[in-house]
Amino acid sequence: MSFTIAEKILARAAGQAGLKAGDDIQVKPDFVHAYDFPGYTDIIFKTMKEEFGIDQIPEPERYAIFIDHMVPAIDPKEELLHAGTREWCADNNVALFERKGIGHQVASEVGYAVPGSFLVHFDGHISQMGAFGMLAVGLRRHLLEAFVRETITFQVPATTRVNLTGKLQPGVMARDVFHHVVRTIGPRSCNFQVLEFGGEGMMNFTIADRQTLCGLAMFTGAITAVVNPDEMTLAYTGPLACLELDPVCSDDDANFAAVHDIDISELAPIVVVPPNPSNTEDLTDHLGLEVQTGYLGSCASGRLEDLRAAAQVLKGRKIKEGFALHVIPTSNVIMARAAEEGLITILAEAGAFISSSSCDYCFGRIATMSAGQRAVSTGTLNVRGRMGSPDSEIYLCNAAAVAAAAIEGKIADPRDYFDGPGDTQ
Amino acid sequence: MLKNLKGRVAFIFEEEDFDVDQIVGVKNIKLRDIDEMAAVAMQSYDPDFAKNVHAGDLLVGNVNFGYGHPHYPPLKAMRHLGIAGIVAESFSPGYWRGEVANGFPQVACPGIMGFVDRWDEIEIDWAAGVVRNLTKSGERPFDPLSKGDLDMISAGGLEGFIKNKIQQEKKVQS
Repeated sequence: MSFTIAEKILARAAGQAGLKAGDDIQVKPDFVHAYDFPGYTDIIFKTMKEEFGIDQIPEPERYAIFIDHMVPAIDPKEELLHAGTREWCADNNVALFERKGIGHQVASEVGYAVPGSFLVHFDGHISQMGAFGMLAVGLRRHLLEAFVRETITFQVPATTRVNLTGKLQPGVMARDVFHHVVRTIGPRSCNFQVLEFGGEGMMNFTIADRQTLCGLAMFTGAITAVVNPDEMTLAYTGPLACLELDPVCSDDDANFAAVHDIDISELAPIVVVPPNPSNTEDLTDHLGLEVQTGYLGSCASGRLEDLRAAAQVLKGRKIKEGFALHVIPTSNVIMARAAEEGLITILAEAGAFISSSSCDYCFGRIATMSAGQRAVSTGTLNVRGRMGSPDSEIYLCNAAAVAAAAIEGKIADPRDYFDGPGDTQ
Repeated sequence: MLKNLKGRVAFIFEEEDFDVDQIVGVKNIKLRDIDEMAAVAMQSYDPDFAKNVHAGDLLVGNVNFGYGHPHYPPLKAMRHLGIAGIVAESFSPGYWRGEVANGFPQVACPGIMGFVDRWDEIEIDWAAGVVRNLTKSGERPFDPLSKGDLDMISAGGLEGFIKNKIQQEKKVQS
């Protein structure tokens, strides 16, 4: 019998050999993560106690809570929510990661990147942990079950496989590859499935690139994304992993719902035009469109590779007068590394506004746009009102394109700022 | 077993990849008060919607209904106005999971667009696995729900579903 990596991980976690797509199972997540957010964690903590009589969570080492939204708090109500979260974690002996960065990234830095493991969260962007050969699924409200029972009710998903071949040209990034995948296979091509990335092109993608590829899986309809673990994965996870599991990979002849081969060697930068994450178009079709603000950050982008690309574009140059460029490294670790490499100096000298890590720029809680404004952004989403007024607009693109737009005050081709192959790395 | 749903098609969302936040408008997705949500619901589609909808009416959607970054207020508002369920060509997974956890009945029924007109009386027959058009006659099969989803809708949502599971386990143990 042949199996996908998703089937293998779930079979191990459910203690039920031979699971296939479509099987209804009870499965025990290795890790249960959440960030504190009104309507999610506060409700979960309250419901656990009041509806299910749970005062103390069993196996607290399986749980982790992140405070990355509403950081820093802007009113007493927000700080009160954080205080309640801190108290719950202390009472339950559950790990809390506060002000360390965006939780989905921090999780990978503190040991939860464990090939072969099954992780659940309420938020779908947790899919980026699939970069480490694990299955990480956003359950929305259903996460409650993981807080009140040992196992959750789940159906083994089918898998669509995307094989990437070729190497990206300078100024074109992993971010473009994901949007190109949406354009090629469609925004609902993977509904209720796992999006699996493979192919010889994967070896050209760094860990951070893979996190970017996996983090936006939901925009193909997938419930998560995964990359089969290779030497690069194990070199990263080995020294950090908080749990020892055997890594698993999809069998070559596993039963995939669909297989797509995509050559990325000729790919050009992409913009995702508002108001829908499926509106993927060539950036060159939008050159010259005026933009007033730029956001380089988020759980999808904002890692070293993104900061390096932006620094390459901005080195020795100045942001256009009046343009607001916000650069928010995805975690404190990344911020420190960027400082060591001199990237922060380059970005600051160019005129960027650089902030400590927070999720709040991505959904317009801060750096809020007013009606009529237009942004280029490496955030996750471009729906109406995501970064402020419903009458503002978000054009999603790669980090180098955000930097290029910041210089010119309009959508610009980032490739013009790269001299030769390999400069993005 | 779930009780069959019988009601009129109160609205057909023809847009593919429909973002449900549009039901209340993006500027209203953070509303907490149910009456405020209901007051703004459907304003850009049919301002008389609240006046004409009856308790038990159903909605019809196109392919990949719920795409985007769905929030809960739009469907909370719809339920408050009396909407009892949704039949769509297909659903976006995040949206589907969220509303099933709310105990809201939904079925994916390929071919539903074009099979019904607004205000037709339709029936979701759980046992037969079909959506019936009672106004024009004829029926279409819907995609079977996973056991977990069906149990969750039957239990009226996530909390009831989990409590049922715990009860069943206790019975097995005793």
